[in-house]
Amino acid sequence: MKQVLKLRNLKVIFPTNYGIIRAVESVDLDIHERECVALVGESGCGKSVTSQSVMRLIDSPPAITRVDTLEFDGRDIKDYTPKQMQEIRGKEMGMIFQDALTSLNPVMTCGKQIDEMYIRHQGLSKEEAREHTVKALELVGLPEPRKRANSFPHELSGGMRQRVLLAMAFACLPKLLIADEPTTALDVTIQAQVLSMLRNMQRGCGTALLLVTHDLSVVSAIADTVYVMYAGKIVEKAPVRELFATPHHPYTVGLMSAVPRLSDTERVFTQIPGTVPHPTQKPSGCYFHPRCQYATAECKKEMPPLKTIDSNREVRCHHPLSIRGVSHA
Amino acid sequence: MKKKLPIHHGMARGIEKRLKNTGLFIKRIWSHKQGKIGLTMVGFLVVVAIFAPYIAPFNPYDVAERTTKGLPPSSKHLLGTTINTGQDIFSMLVYGTRVSLIVGVTSGICIAIVGSILGVAAGYIGGLVDSLVMRIVDIMLVIPTLPLVIVLTNVLGRDYWTIILIFVALGWTGLARTIRSLVLVLKNSNYVKAAELAGASRWHIMIRHILPGTSHLLIMSTALSSAGIMVAEAGLSFLGLGDPTAISWGKMLAEAQRGGALLFGAWWWILTPGIGIFLAVFSFMRLGIVMEEIMNPRMQRSSGVYKVFKNLNSAYVEEVFNSMDDYAKIGVTPAFEHGKGEVTHETGLKA
Amino acid sequence: MKNTYVIKRIFYSLFVFVVVITLNFFIPRIGVVDPAERYYPPQGNMSEIEYEIIKQVTRKQYGFDVSTWQQYLNYLQGLSKGDLGKSFRPGSPAVIDLIVERLPWTLVLSVSTLLIGLIIGVMFGVVAATKRGRWQDTLLLNASTIMVAIPGFFIALMLSFYLGFELEVFPAYTDSNMVANFDWSLAAIRTVAYNAALPVLSMAVGSIIGHAQGTRNAVIAVTNEDFILTAKAKGLKQNTIRYKHILRNSMLPIVTSLGMSISGLIGGQVVIEQVFNWNGMGTLFLEANNTNDYPLMMGIMLLLSGFTILAILITDLVYVLLDPRVTVGDKR
Repeated sequence: MKQVLKLRNLKVIFPTNYGIIRAVESVDLDIHERECVALVGESGCGKSVTSQSVMRLIDSPPAITRVDTLEFDGRDIKDYTPKQMQEIRGKEMGMIFQDALTSLNPVMTCGKQIDEMYIRHQGLSKEEAREHTVKALELVGLPEPRKRANSFPHELSGGMRQRVLLAMAFACLPKLLIADEPTTALDVTIQAQVLSMLRNMQRGCGTALLLVTHDLSVVSAIADTVYVMYAGKIVEKAPVRELFATPHHPYTVGLMSAVPRLSDTERVFTQIPGTVPHPTQKPSGCYFHPRCQYATAECKKEMPPLKTIDSNREVRCHHPLSIRGVSHA
Repeated sequence: MKKKLPIHHGMARGIEKRLKNTGLFIKRIWSHKQGKIGLTMVGFLVVVAIFAPYIAPFNPYDVAERTTKGLPPSSKHLLGTTINTGQDIFSMLVYGTRVSLIVGVTSGICIAIVGSILGVAAGYIGGLVDSLVMRIVDIMLVIPTLPLVIVLTNVLGRDYWTIILIFVALGWTGLARTIRSLVLVLKNSNYVKAAELAGASRWHIMIRHILPGTSHLLIMSTALSSAGIMVAEAGLSFLGLGDPTAISWGKMLAEAQRGGALLFGAWWWILTPGIGIFLAVFSFMRLGIVMEEIMNPRMQRSSGVYKVFKNLNSAYVEEVFNSMDDYAKIGVTPAFEHGKGEVTHETGLKA
Repeated sequence: MKNTYVIKRIFYSLFVFVVVITLNFFIPRIGVVDPAERYYPPQGNMSEIEYEIIKQVTRKQYGFDVSTWQQYLNYLQGLSKGDLGKSFRPGSPAVIDLIVERLPWTLVLSVSTLLIGLIIGVMFGVVAATKRGRWQDTLLLNASTIMVAIPGFFIALMLSFYLGFELEVFPAYTDSNMVANFDWSLAAIRTVAYNAALPVLSMAVGSIIGHAQGTRNAVIAVTNEDFILTAKAKGLKQNTIRYKHILRNSMLPIVTSLGMSISGLIGGQVVIEQVFNWNGMGTLFLEANNTNDYPLMMGIMLLLSGFTILAILITDLVYVLLDPRVTVGDKR
């Protein structure tokens, strides 16, 4: 399979008056053609910054970014000029954000905002662009697309707005789509609709998808590969089935047991004790050790490296679960 | 059966906490660089106003202490004497502080009182009271303030108490509007709802629960409206429409202009009252703006991040980046450069 | 829905205007307004009866011989015909004539200040916002910190002192023949511009900085919005983002503040006209005040308030055009 995105050693910091915020610490990411990769973690763990860095949308100031390799579709776009990036954004890489209401320009009709994509990237006239827009809106299942195109964002419902964003993102059939919490702000029923629409569009257009979310049920529904992120570092990477079957990192286990399941006989939520460390003051050793029930002296001292466990799994833990007995035997 | 909540106990604690908060608030202003400037300057002006008779070498109100007209600055008359009356300009300047501060601060405090009462009433009681207050606000908004002040002084008289009254009568609208919108938020907050459920009376809720919630805003607005009133008073006196018996900075400017300071090149006569007005207004405004920044950090006008960026130590940034590498943390590599002495520990800013 | 809002706004403005008219009528009646007592104090050789007759005549001349209620109705009736009453000046000229004579001279100052302040201020604000943290931004920040604490009339005094008296670049006082000799010739227009330079400059300084600060904050606020990130992620060109997305949205708060600034501009101009001896409505107003010419004062007040109401109404309606979200309720 062809690799769409190869990210190596991404580091992002935000210097502030109160110290340096270490947002992303040495993250590697691989996304292949037609693959759906999920980036999972609590809020504040650096997943949004990572995803925006892929599109090089993080400005400096306020941030300082370092990256060894940022290969997109075979080209290293790490040193592309802003003009070159503008050509790629929208056309080859699309992005959908969490809150569709604030992500759309309030004083511009939805149709016009989609038109912009065709005018900018395909050089169409206004009239041609509108025809394409109407088709795109029809494709994402918006009723009365021609009429809706002339509506302002505040006149549509949350689900409709998210569809508008979808239509906009898929307008130029990008090779990679980044969806940052695409369903978080929606009702559960609408969530399912938008999610299946996203999955269908992704499959139909042959787009690779980077899904940023904190919601494991969304992950289990559509992801192929999962990266779990904690305090700026990737702590576990696995194919989705294997991850849910045998989570290796205590944090992953914690995340999963926080999701209620019908099959649970005891209706008890387990929650991870404590909170995410403040990004200016991260603990020594493994960042997760203050919240980890299995932490040892080693964990307090040393940050574990990201070890390859099977051929396709990686975990950052001194004492990975499930194989814990083996490592301690 | 419902258990009665020990309201009074909680209330006493609440007041104690609030007093503590006020102390903390002043401490926070003091720890803010701009706030320190503002507080110091206001303190200085207050001292000058109180001890004016001891600071000023002459009493400008005393006709007997007038001397030769139009003297240039000298050791005896630091800023010379006026061309038209022969009063000591420096002494007039010192005494002018009193007028500015008294009119400004008194009006500022009264505006805070009137504005908070009407704002809370409009926001909390709502209905007819609300629409009445807001209609008045709308109407006051469209009448140009200075001309209206002039008309009212003409009709009601020109002594300073009347002028303060007029400033307060016209100045409360902006604050009332802000307080009202804050009260609308507080009204729906859980603690107010809890008090309502516990059976507290409207008065009790307004005075004990809602008014304290607006207290920080009131302190800030007092500082800002005092500054605004000082400008307005100076303008009024400059037009010769202030209290005819008082010596104020605005009137000094008017006399300087009419007395021929421009023609004779007596720049100190024009410049110093202007600086007085500037200092008074500036210090109160600083104070108000600092309070606003402390209460609402998103309001920060300075681009702090950009300053941090300029002073960033690249060596420290490298250290931070290197410490992120997977194997760098194994083994005890020092996180900070020692011995160079230019890296402050926490922020990595150049000292 | 939008139409209902517009109609509601217009009716509300009318209501406010009527209230202002009423206030205008009653405020001077708090004090002494009997023109007879003000203007014809008893002369030494005048008998009681003679004086009483003179008072009666004057009262009748100014319409003070009927009940207050009737006076109010007469006032309203006069207003509907554009009659603002008679001035207490000798010869009792109509207030409206006195105002119309000075109005253009005031408008010259206020309109040019408004335009200069708005255009330069908005441009400066946009530059400061895009060059955030650089010297342009720092300059604006420092300038606004300092300038808000300096009263406009003091700036005017310093300008007239330095540019007028010391350097003699512009006249420190307005040429008293300017108004009388004005004949629309190029030379006359040039004279007006020459004389107006300092008054306009001293008012424009504050106006520029005010609008610049407002624009900067608005632009920065919009730049931080999510939809600008969307626009960037769409790969739109820098200029498209700046003009179509950022500026368009930043206009909204600028428009609102424009309406609000009119009232302050009018107040400030009264003092500035006085500094430069400019023959506008501000000077007329002070003349009226010094002679207790209430009908003239209230006429000017009414006109100024009317202008402000109109300005706020217009900016509100422009806001509706710019922001599709405004449909119900008051935006402010």
